[in-house]
Amino acid sequence: MKNTVTAMALALSATAVFAEDKVTIEFAYPYSHLFDVTYEAMMPAFNAAHPNIEVVFRATYESYEDATNTVLREAVAGNLPDVTMQGLNRQAPLVDKGIAQSLAPFIAAETGFETNGYHEAMLSLSTFEDEVYGLPFSISLPVGYYNMDILNEGGITELPTTWDEVIAACQTMKANGIENPIFWGWNITGNWFVQALLWSQDKAIVEGGHVTMDSPEALVALEQMQEIFEGCEMQNLDWQAALASFSAGDIGMMFWSTSALGAVERSQGEFELVTGPFPGLEGTPMGLPAGGNAAMLTSTSDDPAVREAAWTWLKFITSGEGAAQVAMTTGYMPPNKAANEIILADFYEQNPNKQTAVDQLPLLRDWLAYPGDNGLAITQVIYDGIERIVTGDATDMQELQEELVEEIADLLPNG
Amino acid sequence: MVAIDPSLAADVTKPKADNRQARTGWGLAAPALILMFLILLVPIIAAGVLSFTNYSLGNPSFDWVGLQNYERLFTRSTYEKMYVATFTYVVTVVPISVGLGLGAALLVHSLGRIGDIYKTIYFLPVMATLLAMAIAWEFMLHPTIGMVNRTLEMACGTWFEVIPFFADGCAEGFPLWLGDRDYAIWVVCFIGIWQGFGFNMVLFLAGLTSVHRELYHAAEMDGARSGWERFRLVTWPALGPTTVFVVTISCIRAFQVFDTIEAFWPQGGGPNKSAYVMMFAIFEKGIQQNLIGIGSAITMLFLLFVMFLTLIQRWLVERKVHY
Repeated sequence: MKNTVTAMALALSATAVFAEDKVTIEFAYPYSHLFDVTYEAMMPAFNAAHPNIEVVFRATYESYEDATNTVLREAVAGNLPDVTMQGLNRQAPLVDKGIAQSLAPFIAAETGFETNGYHEAMLSLSTFEDEVYGLPFSISLPVGYYNMDILNEGGITELPTTWDEVIAACQTMKANGIENPIFWGWNITGNWFVQALLWSQDKAIVEGGHVTMDSPEALVALEQMQEIFEGCEMQNLDWQAALASFSAGDIGMMFWSTSALGAVERSQGEFELVTGPFPGLEGTPMGLPAGGNAAMLTSTSDDPAVREAAWTWLKFITSGEGAAQVAMTTGYMPPNKAANEIILADFYEQNPNKQTAVDQLPLLRDWLAYPGDNGLAITQVIYDGIERIVTGDATDMQELQEELVEEIADLLPNG
Repeated sequence: MVAIDPSLAADVTKPKADNRQARTGWGLAAPALILMFLILLVPIIAAGVLSFTNYSLGNPSFDWVGLQNYERLFTRSTYEKMYVATFTYVVTVVPISVGLGLGAALLVHSLGRIGDIYKTIYFLPVMATLLAMAIAWEFMLHPTIGMVNRTLEMACGTWFEVIPFFADGCAEGFPLWLGDRDYAIWVVCFIGIWQGFGFNMVLFLAGLTSVHRELYHAAEMDGARSGWERFRLVTWPALGPTTVFVVTISCIRAFQVFDTIEAFWPQGGGPNKSAYVMMFAIFEKGIQQNLIGIGSAITMLFLLFVMFLTLIQRWLVERKVHY
C-alpha cells in the first residue's frame, strides 16, 4: 500500500517536472488557404528539434487587415499571442502602438546572425528606427498567371510584357470567342496593385506622411486600370471567385500575387499553367511592392523561457529548412538567402513557375502603409475608388482622383 | 387616562409597513435592475460618450471632437450610400416578407394536416443559420460555375430567348449577381425575404388561431359571403395586433441585416457600396478599421431608428388596433 502511494507521488511529481519543462507559446497567422499546408509541413521538423516547445495555433486571420485588428483588440483585452504573423505593410502601426517588441536584444545575443542567411534588403522591410521588429517569413511579388490552353485557343502565343499588350491580347481573345479573358487583382489586400502600378513608375504611394494619390503618377495608374478594365471588359469578380474560376480553367490571364501559386496548382484543372513577369506601363516595371508577412514578437510574458521559446520558433520558421517549406508549399519566396540558394537550388529548376517571382527580386520595393489611425480607412477609400472604375460607376479619372484626394485628406492625421 | 385614538395608531404604523414593503420590493428588484443597468444601459451610454471622440482601438487616449462624427454621417457620400442601401432593404423586405408571411399563413391555415408539411418547409430557412445559408448562396450565385447561371444558360437556344433578359444573358453572359451594382442589393433583399417570411408566417398562424369562429359565422349571417369579404371584415381587423407586431419585428430585423453582407462582401459592403447597410457600416468602422468614434456614432443613429420604430408600434398598439 505504502509503495503504491510513493509510486503515485513520484509519478505525479514527474509529470509536474515534465510540464514545467514544456514551454507553450501561442501563435497566429493569416490566410489559412495558403499557409495551412506550410505549417503542417514544418511542424514535424520543429517538434523533433525542439521537443520542449509546444506551439499552440490560434484561429487564423482572414486577411492582413483582420490580423492587425485582431492583435489590436487582443492588446486591449490583454491576451496577445506570443508570436504573430503580420502583413509587411501593417507592421508599422503595431510598432507605433508599442505592441510589437524589438528583436534587437535577441539578434545581438545570436552569433553570426547575418550569416544565417537573412537578406539585408528583406530585413529592412521590418526595420523601424534602426531596430528590427519582425523577421520576414514569406515574400511575394505580383506576377501574371496564364492559362496557355485558353491563350492558344484565343490566338495568343507570346506572353504580354506591357499593359497595352495585355489589352491587345484581351481583344484578340474576345474576338476569338473567349468570354472571360482576364482577372486583374485590384481587390488584393492593402491596395497592393495600385502600389504596383505606382512603383512601376518608381513612385511611392506614401512620401513623408503624405499620400501621393494627387500625383500625376497616380492619375496614370488610375487611367491604366480603367483602360485594362474597359479594354478587356473585365468582370467584377471577388478574388475568391476569381481564383476559383482561374483554377477551374475559365479565365485566360490572371494578374495576382505569386503567393497563390501553391493554392492554384493544388486545385488546378486540366490546363497548362505558366507564370510570367508582371507587365509594365512601358517596358518592364521600375519597381514592384513586396507582399507577404513577417513574424513579430508580441509576447506579454515575463517568463524568459517563454520569450526564448518564442524567439526559437520565430527563427525556425524564417530561416533554413522552415523557410524552405514556404517556397515548396506556396508560391511565396523565402526571405532567406540560405533557403533560396542552397536548399532550394534544384527546386526552382523543377518549378519554373515559382522562379518568375524570384527573377523579379531586384525590383523589390516597400509595401507602404498609410499613416495614422485611419490607415485602414484610407485603404478602404482607395479600394472603393477602384471598385467604382471596375463597375463602370466612375468614368472620368481626373474627377475620381480629385474625390479620392479629398477623402484621403479628410482621414490623414494632419489633414 | 387618555384614550388612544385607534385611527391615529394605525396612521403611525402603516407608513412603516409600507416603507418596509417598498424596501423589500426594491431589494428584490435590485439584481435585475443592476444587471439591466450594467449590461444594457452602460454600454449604450459608453457608446454615446465615445461617439463624441476620435478614439481608435489600441490608442492610449482620445480627443473630444464634438459633433464631428455626426456631421460626417450627414455630409459624406459613403454614408449617403449607407442610408440608400439600408432603406432600400427595409422598404423592400418588410412589405414583401409580411405579405408573403400573411398569404402563406392563410393558405396553410386553410389546409388540414397537410399544412404541417408546408409549415416545416417554409420555416426551414428561418431555422438555418443565415451565415451558412449565405455561403451556400454564394456558391450558387458564382457567375461562371454557380448553379443559378448554369441553370439560366440551359434556356439558351430555346423559346425563352424572346424574353430580353435571356436574350442579353445568352449573348453576353448572365449577370454577375453579387459583383453587379445593379443586382447586388436585390439579391440580398431576395435572400432576406426567403429567409424571413417563414417566421412571419408562424406569427400570423398564431394570430389566426385566436380569431373566433363565431365572428366568421356572424359575418356570414350578415351577408359577407365571399372569402375576400370575410378576410376584409373579420380576419384582417382581428389580426391587427399581430400585424403591428410582425411589421415592427420585421423592420427591426431588416435594419439589423448583416450576415449576408458580411459573407458576400467582407470588404466594402457590395459593389460600389450598394449593399453598405448600417450594421455593416458599424462593423466596418468600429471593428474592421478600429475607428470606435465614428462606429459609435453610427450605432447611436441606428438605436435612434429602432427606438423610433418601437415608439410607433407602441402608439399604434395603444390607439387603434384593439378590437
